[in-house]
Amino acid sequence: MKNISRWLAGLPAYLWSGWGAIASLLLMLAAWEWASGLYGELILPDPRSAASTLMQMLASGAAWPELQVTARRALSGFVLALAAGSALGMAAGVSMTASMMSRPIVTVLIGTPPIAWLVLALLWFGAGDGTPVFTVFIAAFPVIFVGAMQGARTLDGQLRELARTLRMPATMRFTDLYLPHMLSYLFPAWITALGISWKVVVMAELLASSDGVGAALAVTRSHLDTPATLAWIMAIVSLLLAVEYLVLEPIKREVERWRAAA
Amino acid sequence: MLKAHTHSTPALLLCAFRPFFLFTALGGTLAMAAWALFLGGHIALPTLPAGPIAWHGHEMVFGFGLAAVAGFALTAVPEFTSTRAVATRIVAALASLWLIARAGFLIGGVFGAWLAALAETLLVAGLIGALAPRIWRDPDRRHLSFLWALLAMLVTVVGYHFDTLIEGGGGARWLHAATGVLMVLMVVAMSRISMRIVNAALEDRGEKDVAYLSRPPRRNLATFCIALYTALEFLQPASAISGWVALAAAAAMFNLTNDWHVGGALFRRWVAMLYTVYWLMAIGYGLIGLALLADLGTLSGGRHVLTVGAMGLGIFVIMNIAGRVHAGVEPDEKPWVPLVALALVTAALTRATVGWLEPTLSLFLPAALWILGFAVYFAHAWPVMSRQRSDGQSGCAGLPES
Repeated sequence: MKNISRWLAGLPAYLWSGWGAIASLLLMLAAWEWASGLYGELILPDPRSAASTLMQMLASGAAWPELQVTARRALSGFVLALAAGSALGMAAGVSMTASMMSRPIVTVLIGTPPIAWLVLALLWFGAGDGTPVFTVFIAAFPVIFVGAMQGARTLDGQLRELARTLRMPATMRFTDLYLPHMLSYLFPAWITALGISWKVVVMAELLASSDGVGAALAVTRSHLDTPATLAWIMAIVSLLLAVEYLVLEPIKREVERWRAAA
Repeated sequence: MLKAHTHSTPALLLCAFRPFFLFTALGGTLAMAAWALFLGGHIALPTLPAGPIAWHGHEMVFGFGLAAVAGFALTAVPEFTSTRAVATRIVAALASLWLIARAGFLIGGVFGAWLAALAETLLVAGLIGALAPRIWRDPDRRHLSFLWALLAMLVTVVGYHFDTLIEGGGGARWLHAATGVLMVLMVVAMSRISMRIVNAALEDRGEKDVAYLSRPPRRNLATFCIALYTALEFLQPASAISGWVALAAAAAMFNLTNDWHVGGALFRRWVAMLYTVYWLMAIGYGLIGLALLADLGTLSGGRHVLTVGAMGLGIFVIMNIAGRVHAGVEPDEKPWVPLVALALVTAALTRATVGWLEPTLSLFLPAALWILGFAVYFAHAWPVMSRQRSDGQSGCAGLPES
């Protein structure tokens, strides 16, 4: 309860600190506007026409189902990767042998282009949800795995020793020693993986599905409808920004508070 | 010897802010009164090649604004760089140039315009000549931004007069550019002043845990956005690109207010007033952005929130602080100060409604509030600035550190 009220009290300051990010994004829109003036409306419509197309799609209700489908797929793949990557990565990090063994495998996983996984997934899962979810999982998994492994490997041996000497109870050792350290490695990895999930899901849908934002993008491409294409891109990027800055970043700050205090 | 010298200096020339801050208040009051009377059809303004709107813009930016810049820079730069105060004869010469420029715009015609052009160019060049060596010789060159801003100011002054006298233009682009330079200059100047004011307020309240730091990254983002907007506005007036950058400048100014959220000290009068200047800049650039991108409101409304609001209030606050501290008097704690500040904010916000509300409200009310505000300031500043110091200190010396 105390945590929640403190979190709520810090919320306005956190939201207000977002102005810097907004300024940078607005400068990016200015660059977009400039490029649109350079290449013309057909190649690159300006930000306002993309935004008004998106507004129309949202107002008519056409965009919501597609966004829902895409979000479901991205989040399913991401959650699976988060669970498996965190658990297996930590497990691998605990043992030197396991981390040595897993490193080349992770390199192979990271090195394989997602599009190759997508082709395999199409062969294995067909045109349903399975293909995008699997592709997202396989693209996000190694990133989280590496983060978790690094976290477990870099756990301060001396601190662990100290905790043992002081006969710290196991639960306290977990919440006060292992968890904060692990989270400081896991969180950046999760955030990176979330970004990958959003990107990969759209790509997978574009090639393999008949619904979702990716499929909608395929349609706009075939219609040469650049404003609608940009509107979809805008929608997916805005969702990513919202999830990252409104959900993940505040949690990250909260769990990393111990660092500032230290 | 020193004492004898001090007393031989007329009080009005003891320190550069004395003539220039009085000019600021007097010039601001009279030029605005003339403009309001002209708008009401009561008087004719001196005829100028560029027309009456240019007269008004010029007098507010290069008359009112430049006087404040000169007063502040000539007083603050020697203090920041720990160098001797600017010599009295230089202050007297620069002050005369300012008066000659006003005379030029009062006479009007081609001769008056040329006279003002010459005097103003020499004034800014003289400012740079007096201050550049000090800024440059400072070991870390921490105050170079002032020099760049003054050089930019010189470019806009020369540009304005070249445009109106030789090219036959209206000079508006140059006035807008000068406004941008003034905004950057204010952000830079306020970052120096605010460190003292806010931390003094914090200390006053006994808050030892929080400290105010004017952080360079946030300030740099803000000055970058303002400078970029100013350049774009100059090169491509009223373009959508500049609209986005104006919105970015607004966001960057709001971002700058993050440094100021230090608790109750924010509500102390000097802190609150300086803080409001940032908000007015943000609102001004925001309105400009909305006018350019979404046809909401008018460009002129946004610009006047910057000039009447941010510039007017900012200059008022700085004059109230620097103009008293360097005369050996504590800043005035009487109620007229926040009342004038409130009048200026109201003036800026009502001026932004031009096109929506009737002219009495959107033009004449702001003008009246502005005139009242700076006339009241003048009345309070005159007794301090026209008398010799009573604290035994000389020239520009500030208050002893408590």
